[in-house]
Order: sequence, then C-alpha cells, then structure tokens
Amino acid sequence: MGIQFILCFNKQGVVRLVRWYEQLEKNEDTQAYISSIYKLLSSRDHKNQSNFIESFTEKTKLVYKRYAGLYFVMGIDTKDEEAIHLSNIHLFVEVLDAFFGNVCELDIVFNFYKAYMTMDEMFIGGELQEISKEVLLERLSYLDGLE
Amino acid sequence: MGSSLKSFIKDVRGAKTLSEERSIIQKQSAKVRTKLRDDHLSLEKRRKNIQKLMYLFILGEKTHFGQVECINLIASDEFVNKRLGYLAAVLLLDESQDLLTLLTNLMSNDLNHSNKYIVSLALTTLGFLSSPELVRDLYPDVNNILKTSKNVFLVKKALQCTAKMISKDITLFDVFSLDTIKDILNNNSLVCHGTLLGVGKVIQAYVKGFPAYLEMLKSDNTNIEAMEQILVADISEIIPEIILQLKNLNMKNTKPEYDVKGVCDPFLQAELIQTLKVIFQLENTAINDQFLNKFEDLLTFIATNTDPSKSSGQSILYETAKTIFSLNLEQSLRVLGINILANFLNGKNNNIKYVALNTLLQVIPQDPSAVQRHRKYILKCLFDPDVSIKSRALELTFAILDESNIVESITELVNFLEYSSEDNTDLNIYIVEHLVNAFDTIKVSDEKWKLDIFLKILELTGSYMTQERINDILITLNNVTNFDNKNHFVVKLLNISLKKYEEANKSVDLFSDNFAWKLVTVWCIGEYADLVLSKSKSSIISETNLTKYLVDLDTYCTAADTKILDYLLTATLKLSSKITNGKAIEDLRQIILTHTKDANLLIQMKSVQYELIFSQPVAIKKPILEIMPKFEKKQKPIFESIHRASSVIKKTEKPRSNNDLLLDLLGDDTIGDNSNARKPTNSDNSPQGNADKDLLADIFGSSNNRSESVSQTHIESVSKDHNTNSVQLPSDAAEIYDDDNITIYGQVNSIETRLAQIELYFKSKGNITELLSLCAVTKTQKLVMGTLIPSSDINTGNISKQSLKITGSGKLKLRVKLEFKIDGVDHSELFDHKFDHSI
Repeated sequence: MGIQFILCFNKQGVVRLVRWYEQLEKNEDTQAYISSIYKLLSSRDHKNQSNFIESFTEKTKLVYKRYAGLYFVMGIDTKDEEAIHLSNIHLFVEVLDAFFGNVCELDIVFNFYKAYMTMDEMFIGGELQEISKEVLLERLSYLDGLE
Repeated sequence: MGSSLKSFIKDVRGAKTLSEERSIIQKQSAKVRTKLRDDHLSLEKRRKNIQKLMYLFILGEKTHFGQVECINLIASDEFVNKRLGYLAAVLLLDESQDLLTLLTNLMSNDLNHSNKYIVSLALTTLGFLSSPELVRDLYPDVNNILKTSKNVFLVKKALQCTAKMISKDITLFDVFSLDTIKDILNNNSLVCHGTLLGVGKVIQAYVKGFPAYLEMLKSDNTNIEAMEQILVADISEIIPEIILQLKNLNMKNTKPEYDVKGVCDPFLQAELIQTLKVIFQLENTAINDQFLNKFEDLLTFIATNTDPSKSSGQSILYETAKTIFSLNLEQSLRVLGINILANFLNGKNNNIKYVALNTLLQVIPQDPSAVQRHRKYILKCLFDPDVSIKSRALELTFAILDESNIVESITELVNFLEYSSEDNTDLNIYIVEHLVNAFDTIKVSDEKWKLDIFLKILELTGSYMTQERINDILITLNNVTNFDNKNHFVVKLLNISLKKYEEANKSVDLFSDNFAWKLVTVWCIGEYADLVLSKSKSSIISETNLTKYLVDLDTYCTAADTKILDYLLTATLKLSSKITNGKAIEDLRQIILTHTKDANLLIQMKSVQYELIFSQPVAIKKPILEIMPKFEKKQKPIFESIHRASSVIKKTEKPRSNNDLLLDLLGDDTIGDNSNARKPTNSDNSPQGNADKDLLADIFGSSNNRSESVSQTHIESVSKDHNTNSVQLPSDAAEIYDDDNITIYGQVNSIETRLAQIELYFKSKGNITELLSLCAVTKTQKLVMGTLIPSSDINTGNISKQSLKITGSGKLKLRVKLEFKIDGVDHSELFDHKFDHSI
C-alpha cells in the first residue's frame, strides 16, 4: 500500500530527488533500478501515451509526469489507483512551485533539502497527509524561517 | 546555508566531461569522509558535510560512512541540527539497519519534546523508518500524542504513523483501541481534511489486520467472539460519521483551499470511499445489514453527482467504480459502474481511458452483457493514437467477442487492419492470431462471410502472418464442406491473383512480399483447380493461366523461398492430374524436372519422387492426388513444433509398422507442413486406402529405415536439428548453471519481435531419473515449454534438452526449478538466469 518511492530526475536522467518509502529487494541495485526507469520513461511518447506504466516490476507500477525538463515519478502498489497518485504528483509540483516561486530545476538542485522538507510535509511514510496548498505553504514558510 | 555545498554542486554541474565529474565527486566524497572522522569538528561544519553527503546520496554515491553522524546530529539539542539529522537519517538509513536501535531513545525523547516542530520531525522520521523494534518501543509515545495533543499537525502525522505501526505489528491490537479515533472524530477542533485522511488510513490498517489478529488470539484460546463484537460496535459507530463526511464533501464545495478544479478534495473523497470499501470487504453480516444499503445509496449519489469532465472528478468516479466491482454490489450498481468506465472511454483523457479499459477487462466475468453494451466505445478506442490504449481495446474486443457480435466486431477489426500503419505490426499480428482462433471457437452462421474475411486478412497481413495462422486458414478452407462456399473463396482468390498478375505485366512480383497470399494461392491451385475450372465462368481462370502462374512463380522463386517451392511442387503435380491441355501438362512436368537437380536436398528429393508419380498412368495418379481429407485440428497448433519433435523421438524408440509410421507422418505434417502432406491419406473409410498404402510403400521404398529417413528429413526441414537418439550440445550454448549433480546450458535460438526460442541442455553428472524442470518468466512474458528430449532420465554424461518458447516483451529472465532423483533420492534445485537478450 501507499507510495513506494518518489523520484525526480531531469531529461538527461540525472537524479534530483529520491526517496524510498519501501526498500527494494536486498540484491537490487538502486542505481540500476533508477536508470531502468529513466530509460523506460524517456523513450515514451508524451503526447500519445498515458502517464502510467503497468507492472514495471511484479509489485510496482509507475505513475509519472514530466514538467518542463523534470520527470516526477512515483512507484505505487499494483493494486493502487493510478489516477489519484497522478494528482498527488501534480499537487506536489504545484506546492513546490508556489513555495520556491516559479520553481525551476536549479531551485531543486541547490535547495534539495527544502524540496525534501516539502515532500515530508505532504507525505509521511508513503501516504499523503495534507492536501491543502494553503496549509502546506503556511507551514513550510514557517519551517523555512526556523534556521 | 553553507556556501561550500553550493560550490560543490556548482562544480559538479560545471564539469565538462564525465571523468571530470567523477573526479570532483570522488575528491569531495573522500574529503567528507575524513572531515566526519574528526571528533573536534564544529557542529556547523558537521552540518555542512552532512549536507554534502546528502547531495552525494542523490548522485547515487556510497554514503554509509555518514550514518552514525546523522544520529549524532539528532542527539544535539538544537533544532537546526535535529532537523538536518532527521532528514539525513531518512535518506541514508533504512529499516533493516541495526543502527536504528541507537535512535530509539532519542526519538522517544523527541516525541515527547515541548517543541512541537521537533515532535513533528520525529513523527515524520518514524513514519519512514518503522522497523519492528522502533514500532514496538515508540508506539506508546505516538499513542500519547493521539490522545493528548491539540495540535492538528501532530495529530495527522501521528495518525499516519499509527496506521503504519499497527499494519506492521498486529500485537499492537492488544493496546490500540478505536476509541481514540472516535474521540478525534468527535473533537471539532481536530477534524480537518488532513486528520480525516489519517483516520481513513488507521481504520483501513485496523480492519485489514483484524482477521490476522483474531487468528493470533485463536491460538491463545481467547474469546474471539467478544473481540469481534467490539470491532463491530466500534466500526458501527464510525461508519455513519465517515458516510456523513463523504457526503458533505461530495455535495457542497464550500472550502476554496481544498478545491481541485471544482471538485472538493478528491484525495480525501477517494480515501474515504476506499476506507468504506475495506470495511465492507470484511463481509461482516452485522455491519452489512446495517449499513450496506446506505453505502450503496451514497455510491449511487456520488456516481451521479460528480462531474466526470474533470480529472479530479474522474478519480473519484474511478474509485467508486472499482469499489462497486470489488464488493460485487448489486446489478443496478454494477451497470452504473460500467457506465462510468464506458463514459471515460468517450473522453479525451488518455490516462483515464487506459485505466477504464483495464478495469473493464477485469470486470468482464462479472457482467459481460453490461460491458457488451459499450462495444462501440471500445471499438472507437482501437483508433486511438496511444498504442497501449489500442492494445487494451483490442484485448477487450476479443474478450467480449461472441456469436451475437462477431460479424460487427470483426468487420470493425478488419477495418482497423486496413488503416493500420506499419508501426502497428505487433497489434496486427495480435489481431490475426486471435481472429483466426476466434473463428475456431465461435460458430459463424455465414460461412461465405467468414471466408471473405480470411481473404481480406490474407491480403492485408499476409506479408507477416505466421506459418501457424496460414496453416489454420488452410485447414479451415480444407474443412469447408459446402462446395459453393469453397468455390466462392477460391474463385475470388484466383481471380485477384491472376488479374493482378496480368495487370502487372506478367510479373508475379506483385505479390512478392505477401508470402501468405502466394502460399494460399499455390495451394488452392493444387487442390481446387478442377473445382473452379468446371464451375467458373470467368475467362481468366483457365488451364493455361493457372499453369502460367505456377511456371512464372517458379522462375521468380529464389533459393530462399523453400517453403513456396515446396508447395509449388505439390501444386504442380496435383494440377497436372486435373487438366487436359497437353502443353500445360508438359510445362508442369518441366517445373518438376528442373528441380530434380536442385541444390536443396529436400526439394531435390521431392522432385525426384514427384517425377516418378508424374509418369504413372492416370488411374494410379488420380487416387494419390485426391483432395485432402478433413483435418482434425489439434488443440494447440502453436506448440506444434515442440510436439512434433517429441513424436519423432517416440517413433524411433518404439518399433512400429511401416504403415503406422506413414500415418503418423501424414498426421503430423498435415498441420505443420502441408506441402509434404498432400499425398493421399489412408483413412479407413476410403476405398482406395489399401492401394494407396502399397503405392506409397513402393514410392518410398518398402524398408522401414527408408521411410524413417524420409520422415526425419521432413521434420528436420521444419524444426531444425531435432536429432533423434542423442542430443548434442551445440558449441555456442552457454553454461547457465552448474552444481554437483547437473550442468545446464542455455542457447538462444532465435529472437524476434515479442518471441524468443530458447533451448536448455541438461547434462547430468550422475544417473538422474524423473527430471522435472519448471521455469518461470517475468510477468510481461508468457512461456511455453516443450518436453525433455530424449527423456527425463539422463545417464551420467548424457544430455537432454528442452525447448522454451517465450512470447511477450522485456528482458529474458528465467527462474528454473529442478526436481529429480539420483539413485532414488530426491533432489531439487532453484536458480535464476538472465540472458543478454530482450524481446
């Protein structure tokens, strides 16, 4: 149940954010796993194909969306609903956008810890915990001030 | 924050080459490592280094040396240190590490900290790192927050943590009680969307874990009925609350901050629907009697009241439909659910179309007729630009195919084939494969129409149709009993063939790439020339034209077209007995003659034999060249090559009479390789049966060995190198597994689109008996296994082999399980192997 991982990488496949809510199999190489996702997604036709990849592995399907040069990918349980997770991704990006103010890749590169903070206020243990953008932003800007 | 982190990131970004980037990263990694080892490093510098470490982690570098350092930061009293420490812990640690025990006390303190931000950090981390020990030790602290905290932020996080904890450790059910949840639901200052999400999760985890908890209690002899009653009572109190909340959310949209494209908080709505679904999945009669009606009403309400045009509304509707099917609610609701999904198909959103098709595929068994009703939309999806939607729609079309809609659906599919581009070859093959099969299983009243469809698909897809499907079509054609229909097909086919051939200025090249079409034409000329010549009114089908077609086709055939030549020779022979024009007959004889010196041994042998038959008097020739009898189609012609191979082995193992052998040979070949089979059969009903047998015996030479060798050559031509008695290990087979008892080699014979043929060779190191090998492939692939050849008993040093046929896509990976006996003792092995190939 829930989100197994959240990944964010750019068009070249360079990872910008990565969080594993569920560990991979012991012998699975995470880097190889990520690059196989990248290979799969970058070869897809974004206009005419859906944002889901059924059965990426036996227990995981992918939900992804590309925003400008960045891919946001979630790995979810094969039984879970794709559509709602796609909305999750969108919400996350919207919050990032509002928090950084017109977010771009560089914001995430240099302030990855802030991006993680955003992620942690939205998701906990692979589950969505807050939906309201206003609540999130208020909380984030407060936390951001707690230097 | 630290400028040095920034400059590090800048340096990495600025690297011009990959090797430069690597060296920057390695240098920095080494530097961080030495810095962190320094005990006198100031906390501020420590933070900087941990930040760099996290960036290294994102880059995919090794970061294990910093793990203890995260814990040190968490142990500090300052908020900034704790914050970074927890963030780093979440990234760098995972649940399996022993280091987590070091965290227990620190986190327990932080969960009770007066600073709510620190509590929040600890909760977030716990949600992530919920190892069994942490769950057990920290549960009381979390529960305490649930009971006492007035802070919405903390409560919602604590709820999510609780859900995770009780789902991981069912012994917590002893201390956890839904009363806390009820209290939260009753406390207006705490109820908000975030907490409701958490409440949903906790209830789901509780309800899902409950059966396992009862099992556990059973073994302790506790009174489980009392426990069950407590659950029912608690849940019964909560259900109305959730239904109310859900209804309110769906009905009015008063909270602008939760508005997503005009729908109020689709996330929470979907979550609450899911929560109720999980509750009703318990199938507790007390709960169902009391609330199922209300839930059904609510679902109906949501289904009719939610805006299906926005993606936010769609996800709620999708969840609703899925709930209806998973609970198998009553008919009227199922129809509603299917209507929701069908509506999605009509929209523009590819994502939602895709999930709808997927779900429809799953619900067909529940309600086939309701899905049927939306066939139009499904067929429309065939023409969607998205390949995955196309293929789902195809699957669905075939899944709902039955007698009532076959004509309409297939007409549409043929229409699809007509407009389908080359890029969709995969789909086209899929259609042809299933279409031909569908005709086998579903009765079609209009045989003429069916044959017309065959003609059409031959024309459209003949260039890449598989041999099995061509054979299927030939078999179907052969089994047509109504001569009018058969004539109708053959005349049409020959008319097109001959006309095109005329138009193309006598060059047969026109159909050069349509292999199947050519093959079927040639076959029909051989089989049915007399039929069409006697009935046809068209002038184009004449003895000379048919002969010319064969003669010209023969000249255009290259050495590579063995299959065509094979068929052509037989057709030539057969045609010769059906026409009277002396010149034409002589032309036909010339075709056979030229091939008596063919470089291809098989063709040569055949020509020589045919020449013998050719010169026989008509009275002898005629019965040999009779029309083929009705075929009994074998169950799975796709696996033919494998079955055939094993039957050859059987033949050599058991001595049989000559006639039996021929019978077998003919029986096998009629399916696999028609060209070889167009000799008369010895069906017992046929009056000429005996004469034929003798004749054939003469032709082949009466000795057993001789006919055996013929049979072997024939089979070899189809499935290469099925050597009869002992299996040889090919030189390029790679070792994939080796232990004390057995060595296994694998060889990939052929890789095509979506199809791979693999041979496994089992070389034994002891006297292995009753070897059983079971293989599994990844989910995206399907596997067909052949039998072990020559047998499942392998003596020391001998080899048995097994053919695998894998269809689908993805990397070739095998999981192999072996069971066998050595000297009567059971052994079993399990191993995985990855081939370097993908399909």
